[in-house]
Amino acid sequence: MSNSNNMPKRHMGLRTANTVSNVLIYILLVVICIVWLIPFIFILLQSFRVESTCQVGYVIPHTWGLKNYVNLLYSESSGLFGTAFSKWYLNTFIIALCTAVIQTVIVLCMSYALSRFRFKMRKALMQFMLILGFFPGMLTMIILYRVLKDLGLTQANAVPGLILVYVASSGMGYYVSKGFFDTIPKSLDEAARIDGATRAQVLWRIILPLAKPIVIYTVLTAFMAPWGDYVFASYISMGSTAGKNVAVGLYEWLSQDQIMNNYTMFCAGGVLVAIPVTVLFMCLQKYYVEGVTGGAVKG
Amino acid sequence: MKKVLALMLALVMVLAFAACKKSGNEEEQNKELAGTYDITVWCAENIVDLTKKQIEDYNNNNTYGIKFNATVEPQGEGDAATKMIVDVDAGGDIFCFAQDQFARLVQAGALSKLGPEAAATIKEANDADAVAACTMGEDIYAYPLTADNGYFMYYDKSVVPEEHIGSLEDILADCEAAGKYFAMETNTSAWYIASFFFGTGCKSEWTTDSDGNFTAVNDTFNSPEGLIACKGLKKLLDSPANLSSSDGASFAQNAAVVVTGTWAYNGIKDILGDKMGAAALPSFTVDGKTYHMGSFAGYKLLGVKPQTDPHKAAALNLLAQYLTGEAGQLERFNAVAWGPSNLVDLAKDEVKSNAAISAVMAQKEFATPQGQIHGSWWNIAKVIGDDVAAATDDAGLQTALNNYKEKIDALIGLTGYIFVGAWCNWDNADMTMKMTETDGVLSITLDVPQSDYMGGRIVTAGTWETDRGYAQVTEGKDLLVDDPGNGDNNIIFAEAGNYTVTCNLSNNEITVVKN
Amino acid sequence: MYKKRITPALIKLVLGIIAAVLAVLFIITTVASVKAGYSALKPALWGGMLLIAAIVLLAVGSSQLVRARQFNRMVEESGVTVKEEKRATIGDFFKKIFDGIKRFFLSIGNEFKDIITTFINGDWKTKLSYLVMGFGCLARGQILRGILFLLFEIVFIGYMIFQGGYWLSMLPSLGKVGQHKEWVNVGGISVEKMLPGDNSFKILLYGVLTMFFIIAFIYTWRQNVKQNRIAEEIIRSGKKLKSGKSDLRSLVDDQFHKTLLALPLTGILIFTVMPIVFMVLVAFTGYDGAHNGIANLFHWEGLKHFQELLSWSNGSNTYSATFGEILTWTLIWAVFATFSNYFLGMLVAMAINKKGIKLKKVWRTILVMTIAIPQFISLLYVSKMFAKNGLINLFLIDHGIIKLGQELPFWEDPTWARITVILINIWIGIPYLMLIATGILMNIPADLYESAKIDGANSWQQYKKITLPYMLFITGPYLLTSFIGNMNNFNVIYLLTGGGPTNPAASTAAGNAGYTDLLITWLYKITMGEEAKYYMASVIGIMVFVVVGIIALVVYNLLPSVKNEEDFQ
Repeated sequence: MSNSNNMPKRHMGLRTANTVSNVLIYILLVVICIVWLIPFIFILLQSFRVESTCQVGYVIPHTWGLKNYVNLLYSESSGLFGTAFSKWYLNTFIIALCTAVIQTVIVLCMSYALSRFRFKMRKALMQFMLILGFFPGMLTMIILYRVLKDLGLTQANAVPGLILVYVASSGMGYYVSKGFFDTIPKSLDEAARIDGATRAQVLWRIILPLAKPIVIYTVLTAFMAPWGDYVFASYISMGSTAGKNVAVGLYEWLSQDQIMNNYTMFCAGGVLVAIPVTVLFMCLQKYYVEGVTGGAVKG
Repeated sequence: MKKVLALMLALVMVLAFAACKKSGNEEEQNKELAGTYDITVWCAENIVDLTKKQIEDYNNNNTYGIKFNATVEPQGEGDAATKMIVDVDAGGDIFCFAQDQFARLVQAGALSKLGPEAAATIKEANDADAVAACTMGEDIYAYPLTADNGYFMYYDKSVVPEEHIGSLEDILADCEAAGKYFAMETNTSAWYIASFFFGTGCKSEWTTDSDGNFTAVNDTFNSPEGLIACKGLKKLLDSPANLSSSDGASFAQNAAVVVTGTWAYNGIKDILGDKMGAAALPSFTVDGKTYHMGSFAGYKLLGVKPQTDPHKAAALNLLAQYLTGEAGQLERFNAVAWGPSNLVDLAKDEVKSNAAISAVMAQKEFATPQGQIHGSWWNIAKVIGDDVAAATDDAGLQTALNNYKEKIDALIGLTGYIFVGAWCNWDNADMTMKMTETDGVLSITLDVPQSDYMGGRIVTAGTWETDRGYAQVTEGKDLLVDDPGNGDNNIIFAEAGNYTVTCNLSNNEITVVKN
Repeated sequence: MYKKRITPALIKLVLGIIAAVLAVLFIITTVASVKAGYSALKPALWGGMLLIAAIVLLAVGSSQLVRARQFNRMVEESGVTVKEEKRATIGDFFKKIFDGIKRFFLSIGNEFKDIITTFINGDWKTKLSYLVMGFGCLARGQILRGILFLLFEIVFIGYMIFQGGYWLSMLPSLGKVGQHKEWVNVGGISVEKMLPGDNSFKILLYGVLTMFFIIAFIYTWRQNVKQNRIAEEIIRSGKKLKSGKSDLRSLVDDQFHKTLLALPLTGILIFTVMPIVFMVLVAFTGYDGAHNGIANLFHWEGLKHFQELLSWSNGSNTYSATFGEILTWTLIWAVFATFSNYFLGMLVAMAINKKGIKLKKVWRTILVMTIAIPQFISLLYVSKMFAKNGLINLFLIDHGIIKLGQELPFWEDPTWARITVILINIWIGIPYLMLIATGILMNIPADLYESAKIDGANSWQQYKKITLPYMLFITGPYLLTSFIGNMNNFNVIYLLTGGGPTNPAASTAAGNAGYTDLLITWLYKITMGEEAKYYMASVIGIMVFVVVGIIALVVYNLLPSVKNEEDFQ
């Protein structure tokens, strides 16, 4: 503000302009927040509607209650947590947890190797993986199903099968974390090497502690993805209730023959699915932002 | 040790001998099937618990000593085939499906043929339409489960008075006045659109061979009657009250009429309560004449997957007969109001008195049995809805029908070989030039009109793929022109006339005869 | 900080390529539509849209050129070192490919030469190793390596005798005897007994796996030969051979990358490369729902299905016209989806970042929260909200804003549907972009703005001259990946519209495509549809690969921020 003395009038003008634009921005932000939150609030409201189970043309329930949530988790024949939804929820949770751990290990291995080592074929390998990514992955679904079936990992055993599918090719998603590793100065490695550390020790003792944001970012994204996967999960569970994840189970509740009975339960199920992911995300948001901005933009 | 073995061998032989000797005996046969079978059953979500109970009942009561260890999975009848086709091996041993998927399932080898005993039972207990629904060629492949896979009209009595329910125009006027919707799935489902066409007497009847391939069609949608149907459809589409939906929940979203089936009965009853009415579809009036809207009368079927173990196959067939038998269907009706196909059940008072079933029965008079319909027909016919909505005059409506006809022709034409040439303007999807195939020999008799170039060749329908033409002609070369510049390998007739061309598919030898 | 300029030529080139692609597409779709007998209106409509897109691109491009120059000048003036770089051209790109191919063949020639000379010059241990893998290593005391080589050979030979041979021998025919049935009488009941036959699917699958195995064997054998040569050289020079222990140690040290990469690359090989090879092969067979390889075998059919896709003589049933239309919409969608999110996300980020705006954390948290909620829930719900009798229309009717019959046709009208999916995609995408943009905006050196202010630039000018060029420069690769991601954005389309509304011209046997279908959702429909034409899905998949590949590879090779990887360290 050293130049304010030279231009007092303009400064005043700027200030009013600033206030006006700030007000406009506040209005914009409020509108955006409303638009962004409305669907979620509506879903929440619908999940407490107990007077009917189908879609209706109003938002505020006429009768409030927890029946939908109770039905999700408890039924007379199967007891508390014995329902299909509980099973799907547990399946998804196990898948998400295992995927998060294994995928993180794989992605970190891959990206660290590609960031720190200069070996023959490295460039070719990176280009090859880039090219592989152009092929629509959906097509491979048919064949992956058969491979998993020969291993006995479909239908009721879809959980390990899905974990395998999710983590197996996760090495191809190395871009973001490689970008992050690239920003950690190489001199740190070299100093440690001079002190006699092996490459493995360098990774474990020097790099990993510095890479906390990207580790958390990877864990978080890997954990979140399985909750929403419909296509692969429905293909690999192939009609078996025991092998479905929440997305497949809930999606089928909206099919023509079930939507009338299960719509409000779908909303309640949606809320239950959103809770753990949202809470986790809120807690680790800071790292997510660091990870995504540290690595994502550089490719 | 040896003694024990010898003893056991002797025992086995005695038993085997006894079994042979008494093979006509009922009791011994019963024992032959005794055992525990692990099976998977696919059925609609709302009958999962009922089916479990029914299988349990069967386990306790059958005289064969059969025990099923059953996993019952919810699987909508609408897309059972999609899942079965991906992997027959992983599909349910017994599975329910809607009739339109029947041909696809037979083609994919997902259904086993019924033996003569089971077939006889089916024919006895159900009417001819139900039997036709599960017949392909000469063989029966499935068990009729319900006879209510058709649609009719639910309405809100507080909006549409009883005296109006016979007329589409009156109902639409009531809906418009009340600001409510008339819901019928007119632009996304051929199943519902066909209602107008059947109402004016149009047909779409398909012929299949025993493998589930469609070989011919008698389709009269593109006709003066079809045009009338389009006009009726247009009335509905142009009404502000039009809503394309078959979801019973539409009643909770501002609809006063929903055209859908018995499966929505319980849900709609919950929403409308005493205000709910169910009736046959109304009539529509075009140019002073009224036509009652038709419908599809379809079935839900239950199939048994082919098995490597004949004992399991026999046991599964017995269970399927039990589930689709008189008692099984009645139980299902009582639990979820699915309309039975069994003739004894249909005659029962409690069945007749159900509002939805009586509406189905009232509509049945105007309904067309669904039969076997080509899987792509549903996609082709549903477009009529959009085309009619976009049309502004009769010419536009006619264009919609022409488009439809063209696609149907291409569809059925695309399954064989066509003798394409100057005589059909080189249209490689021209149905009339399709060669009939008997025992691996293609043949066609045609009139070749006089023109500058009287040439043509045999192509796979709809493509220009050709490896059969002049070079393959072994007999009748004297009738043809030997054109050195004939790069397309065309058969070029020297003069106009009536010819018969045959081609043996095994060695590709072509014979040309002048009649 | 700045190591690179934005080269005006580069921007020109990228835009030129995009414009050229659009032009080619326009020609393809026009020809396809006309040949397929569509009304003249349609090509004209598409042409118009493409033309507008091209003009917008050129306009944006030319202003970008000006900005890039200004930015470069600005960077120079700010005194930061700028490294000159050779400008990449299309010619370079093809030259690179050509060189690559040349190098590939040369190296294969060298390999053969090496194999032969090693045999001639080698001692008896080496020579025996050509037959018994690992023998040389064992004889020279490298026990660990030797055992591994030998084990691999034994496993390979065993596999080929007991399994691989069968699969390979069946590969040309894909099976001879199909599943068949016979009538059996069991307990007085006639039933069909199923007798399994060959399985075309398994033959193809295990045939491919066996091929992979053979390639792996050849590679290992080659390594085995090489090891012998190296060992001989080492011994000749009087040094000591590496022991098994030091081999193991090197795997956590010098060769640590091999340890790191082993698991991920195996996974990629089995679960990505192998399936892709398999699916490419399916395009040349007759694999579909009716010929699933078990009940009915399928066989090789050559290029038939490619002809089916590319031939224009099938009347309205053609795949080619549908493919052209869907490809065009996919590209338009990808452009709009990418750039609308990009600019609006940036705008929101700037709004929140603006000095004097309070509660920054709250705004950001609310937006970010929506990322965490699985898309299948929110999108399915939103899709129902926009229905003809959904919440929005009913709300408008109830409040007398519109009358019955005047509902907004969000999903019924093709143009409305396309705009609605793009708008809802903005709703999905802005939070991500807001996060990324926030991070980058904070990194822009404040002194750039300060000096701009001194020059009297207003905030729009600052945005134009500093923020935007900076963002574009940093996020170049991100834009490319998100463009490709959007081309394959299955979730948004499938969950919102399912591809609808139906396209009367395309909705036939050609996969029942709708107006909002992307190539990827069309593929899904073909795979899961009535006839389950896997071979056609596969052919289209290959086409998608070609299109995406061409666009991406050219752009990727020319992007500045990809090449200077080393500069960041």
